[in-house]
Amino acid sequence: MKLSAARWPAVAVLATLTLASCATGTGAAGDDANYDPDAALSGDLTVLGFGAGDEIATTRMDEAQKALGDDVDVKLVEGDLDIQQLLSSIAAGDPPELIYANRDQIGSLAARGAILSLDKCIDGEGIDTGQYVKAAVDQVTFDGSVYGIPEFNVVQLTMANTSLLDAAGLTIADVNGSNWDAVTAASTALVKNDGGALSTIGVDTKMPEFFPLWAKANGVDLISDDGKTANLNDPKAVEAVEFAVGVYDDQGGFAPVKAFRDSADFFGAGNQYATNQLGSMWMEQWYVNVLNDVSPDATISFDTFRTPQGEPLAFASGSAWAIPAGSANAAAACRFAKAMTATDSWIAAANARVKLREADGKPFTGLLTANQDADDAVRELVTPSGDAQWDSAVEATYLANDNTFSLPANPADAEFKNAWQDAVNRVLNGQASAQGSLDQAQEEAQKALDAAWAKFDKD
Amino acid sequence: MTTTTGRADAAELALAPVQAGDPPALPATQRRTPPRRRLGQVLVYVALTVFAVVFTYPFIWLVSASFKPRSEVFDNLLIPKTFTIENYLNIWQEAPIGVWLVNSVIVTALAAICVTASSALVAWGFAYFRFRGRGLLFALVIGSMMLPGAVTMIPTFLIWNGLGATGTLTPLWAQNLFGSAFYIFLLRQFFLALPRELFEAAKIDGAGNWRIFTRVALPLCKPALAVTLLFEIQAAWTDLLRPLIYLRDSATFTIPRGLKSLLDQFGFGGEWHWEVIVTASVITTVPMIILFFIGQKQFVDGIATTGSKG
Amino acid sequence: MSASSIAPVRPGRLRARRRETLSALLFISPWLVGFLIFTLWPVIYSGYLSLTDYDVINNPNFVGLDNYTAMFEDPKIALSLTNTLIFTILSVPLHIIVALALALLLLRAARATGFFRTVFFLPKMTPAVAVGVLFLLIFNGQDGLINRVLGFFGISGPYWTTDPAWVKPGLVLISLWTIGSSIVILLAALKNVPTELYESARIDGANFWQQTMRITVPMISSTIFFLAIINTIYGFQIFTEAYTAFFGSGNTTYSNDAALFYVIYLFQQGFQYLHMGYASAMAWLLFVVILIFTVVQFAISRRTVYYEGEAR
Repeated sequence: MKLSAARWPAVAVLATLTLASCATGTGAAGDDANYDPDAALSGDLTVLGFGAGDEIATTRMDEAQKALGDDVDVKLVEGDLDIQQLLSSIAAGDPPELIYANRDQIGSLAARGAILSLDKCIDGEGIDTGQYVKAAVDQVTFDGSVYGIPEFNVVQLTMANTSLLDAAGLTIADVNGSNWDAVTAASTALVKNDGGALSTIGVDTKMPEFFPLWAKANGVDLISDDGKTANLNDPKAVEAVEFAVGVYDDQGGFAPVKAFRDSADFFGAGNQYATNQLGSMWMEQWYVNVLNDVSPDATISFDTFRTPQGEPLAFASGSAWAIPAGSANAAAACRFAKAMTATDSWIAAANARVKLREADGKPFTGLLTANQDADDAVRELVTPSGDAQWDSAVEATYLANDNTFSLPANPADAEFKNAWQDAVNRVLNGQASAQGSLDQAQEEAQKALDAAWAKFDKD
Repeated sequence: MTTTTGRADAAELALAPVQAGDPPALPATQRRTPPRRRLGQVLVYVALTVFAVVFTYPFIWLVSASFKPRSEVFDNLLIPKTFTIENYLNIWQEAPIGVWLVNSVIVTALAAICVTASSALVAWGFAYFRFRGRGLLFALVIGSMMLPGAVTMIPTFLIWNGLGATGTLTPLWAQNLFGSAFYIFLLRQFFLALPRELFEAAKIDGAGNWRIFTRVALPLCKPALAVTLLFEIQAAWTDLLRPLIYLRDSATFTIPRGLKSLLDQFGFGGEWHWEVIVTASVITTVPMIILFFIGQKQFVDGIATTGSKG
Repeated sequence: MSASSIAPVRPGRLRARRRETLSALLFISPWLVGFLIFTLWPVIYSGYLSLTDYDVINNPNFVGLDNYTAMFEDPKIALSLTNTLIFTILSVPLHIIVALALALLLLRAARATGFFRTVFFLPKMTPAVAVGVLFLLIFNGQDGLINRVLGFFGISGPYWTTDPAWVKPGLVLISLWTIGSSIVILLAALKNVPTELYESARIDGANFWQQTMRITVPMISSTIFFLAIINTIYGFQIFTEAYTAFFGSGNTTYSNDAALFYVIYLFQQGFQYLHMGYASAMAWLLFVVILIFTVVQFAISRRTVYYEGEAR
């Protein structure tokens, strides 16, 4: 019993050593695919992270299939990209051929060699990166190479309740961020607080999610252009947090505002605008369509987000196609991404949507594709709704789209993002002061960045 | 104090349809329930009902919300103002629920049956026999529960990948062929609570180890076995992580995996499309509730009919 | 435990013992096989990974004890471990007491037992993700059910989902909602208690409380022990509900330092930051902590747990 008892761990250790060589991952895999727009392609194309839910997706997928030809079998693994799913497949050396990720995930994947540099793909297939919105391309550029093909752009707009503004003698200019004192004053004027319980939120500064926007408005970039130095506790950033959180504090604190906001019927006819539960907030542009759908009669004023200098500004985010290292069909993946984001594909998709909206008797409010050429073309298709209010929303959307910025890719993007989000949350929850919290975040973020860059430079 | 037969009688009594704690059968003249007893009973029911409301309210809320149109999901009315089955229809039409259902049933049935059988075997091994190394091995059983699954997830994935099973339903249930620490521990506790004299008696009657296991121990632990079965059904049915990392073809998806792909279409993980989330939760949960309800009878029947031990 | 043989043993007994060992191993074999294939290797491998710098994408890079020393300097380790400890210490005893109380009630419900048992098990059947979402709904500071009920009694409820002081109690409460499994297990155990014991006690004049403490609890102590061990082990690994409510879905997280539990931080390190080696080291630290707690509980059990089936 004793001898055999000793034998088993030994066997296990041996097994470990042999099987350990199984977990090689794909980091060492290079890009040896041949990219040629005229070549006939075949094989499987498994796509992780994309779902063909609406006409915008399906129309473009038809175009992509045409470009690929009949011999390529496109398989969508429906559902958002899950990191556990992706990492497991990479560990086993069997990644999908193409992934659809958030642009702010690209940096760390690129730094670790999980995805291929698309330079060869772009050259080979002849993709014109100039056609994409600059901020979008910047987000997926790492160490001088492009690692993702951008798709979709999301920007922020100011959306205010016109009747509430009028009642308080305010205008959109008071709440669009062009004057921070005015915003604070407006919030105090608009908020309604019946003995502790909020019945109307004054101004919602949307912290923590819009912190980069507030910081940039105040003149500071949260991370240096080369993605190496974090800038989270810059005095201007601290100022921005103090201001934005201050707006909540004036209304009784973040907790009551969030609680009240959470119980709102965000997507329904009883939304915060229709029921006068909100004075003004900044929100992503796709919400315009929702409001138009469920409460077309609500009185809402739209504008872009404005800097204290009165200039429009938006923080761009969205998705991107990326090719995992070790992809079995990089050539098809590249062509698929090209076709999905091609100007013509977008126009076809927009036309499909226009038809559907016409059938419903609703206006087409445009589409932000991250492809500037496509954006311009699609804008032509926008049908005036006959209502100045909704038309101004579309105007504001496109204006914002022309004035976007983004945070550059960096090899520790998850840690960086968590660092500043946690920092702002600490301030919101009253656990720390803005300065102290951001100091902590700066330390965490810089440490992570240094470690990640050191590792990248070493390899 | 009590003889072997005394214990056996006790066991029979315990398994008879009389609930523990009920008064013994009184002669007819004394059988009228004293008022104090009745009051106690009423209080029990009141307390249970209060708790029942607390426990079911969120779920009733879920069910009621699933029948509401999107704009009314949060109106906090228990009875929907506008009753609609649109959510269910949408999901049914958008998604191959039938296929997912079949996959879920296969995986769950295999997982539950395998784990119950194998865990019972192993638990018996630990409870009945005395041997060197028993303590150490059992410590390993418990120890295996102490390492967070997150770090063994990838190595386990590599094993299945090496066996060529990724992409199939096998990794979702096959590990249950080898028992599961939780149930092994649970069943071992139940086996240990059985009086040893029962086994001695069976041995004297000439029963071998297997017979003692199947004819004496198992029947007496039917509630525990039923519990194991039910728990694993719940766990396997709602498991999302394994289908997420092992399955790629939507024709192999189980219900939780399928519903996730549906939800994600709405963006942000479907975060704000509560009416879909809520409906998806109900669809996932209801089959199990029905099963559990049906299974209740098995509980009662099982206990009532196993008076004898072989 | 089994006696070691100092005195010379008759050959018959040796063979009998060997046969017993063989039979035992036969019964245990399914677990043994599974353990060797599916548990031992992943565990050893994760131990190896804890000594490496591993991002899953590239080969592991041996770094010795660097991960472990780094853990000492990482303030979030202490934070998350403390959070987890507090949660476990709060929830486990509460869990068992409430489950036992309900199971005892259930025992007296006669025919309605089945119905109520389903009702109590219902929440357990709800997917954990939905529970996390429900937490945000029900514990909403302004409008949630809990605060409305408290308001009924004139109590102004706190902001459960944002106030750091109330986040953990809120999570403990919602974890109580899923005690259905413990209730079911306790019920099964309670039914195994011989009624004659209660009879004799009643004849001797014992009241309900005395019966419970002197008969019921000791007779089901093996099950209570099981629940204590299991809930402690699982309590330390709390993840899904808290993650969904505070860290998970969507682009923005309304994270809260009070809800940063150990496995959540582990998950962030391993899967978001791609520090799988560090995460593995974290897992081993947790293992040691849980092991200590479990050993202590087992030690206590020697004096407090009663097994009808004698030798353990």
